[in-house]
Amino acid sequence: MSLFLEPSLLDVQMVLEEVWTSFLGVEEPLLPRTPGDITVGWSAAVTVSGEWHGMVSVELPTHVAEDVTRRMLGLVDGLDVAADEDVADAVGELVNMIGGNVKSLMPGPSVLSLPVVAAGRVARPSDVVEVCRLDASWAGSPLVVSVHVQAKAA
Amino acid sequence: MHALIIDDSRAMRSILRRIVTDLGFDTLEAADGQEALDHLHAGRVPTLCLIDWNMPVMDGYTFITNVRANPAWRDITLMMVTTESEHGQIVRALAAGAHEYVIKPFTPDAIAEKLELLGLVAKAVPV
Repeated sequence: MSLFLEPSLLDVQMVLEEVWTSFLGVEEPLLPRTPGDITVGWSAAVTVSGEWHGMVSVELPTHVAEDVTRRMLGLVDGLDVAADEDVADAVGELVNMIGGNVKSLMPGPSVLSLPVVAAGRVARPSDVVEVCRLDASWAGSPLVVSVHVQAKAA
Repeated sequence: MHALIIDDSRAMRSILRRIVTDLGFDTLEAADGQEALDHLHAGRVPTLCLIDWNMPVMDGYTFITNVRANPAWRDITLMMVTTESEHGQIVRALAAGAHEYVIKPFTPDAIAEKLELLGLVAKAVPV
């Protein structure tokens, strides 16, 4: 039997902050941001299936995705260019860690998928509904983490 | 000492490479369990493997069972480094032969502390 629960906004915020500070440093903290549209350059999603079903996704403007990539790969600002392949890899790993830690807060056992990454917005199944959305700001730029579950479960 | 970093993410391999290089390891990398096994079969046998769980081709758990099935590789220290944090999966990995289990995200200090516990790096002494 699957459980129709959802993580709280505070849960997602704690997960995001832990991932962010672990790999991207504390010099530029994540700040709360008024919800709103962002220009999505890159996005990625993982699905959790098992005792809990859900989809965790992250959406970033292009320059944020590239900055995240440079930091994760240890590239030098202004000297090294992050290739699209590297950006896709880094954004995928970012959502993998966020999704994996959201999964750990939900009833298990469940299985985490490999990440799906897109330049632009990742396509979502038509039968899912957003149950949690975290709008944040990093170095003055927006990013969004959201959790979707099947509509009948919401 | 050599460390084999097994993760399908190039970014994660880069992060782990910087950490273990600072701790004195030379590194090899593999993008999945099969590529890592290929290193071992080719005679590139490390002191330490850092192993992600979810990877295409061959996952980290299957890699561990393959390594532990070969007595010639019994001295390799196996450390899972993964987002998988369910108790059952941790127990499963340790029962299969992993020595340690680190959950992502982690800090460099967390990796260093685990390697100190395993006796692979010298314990830091406060001055």
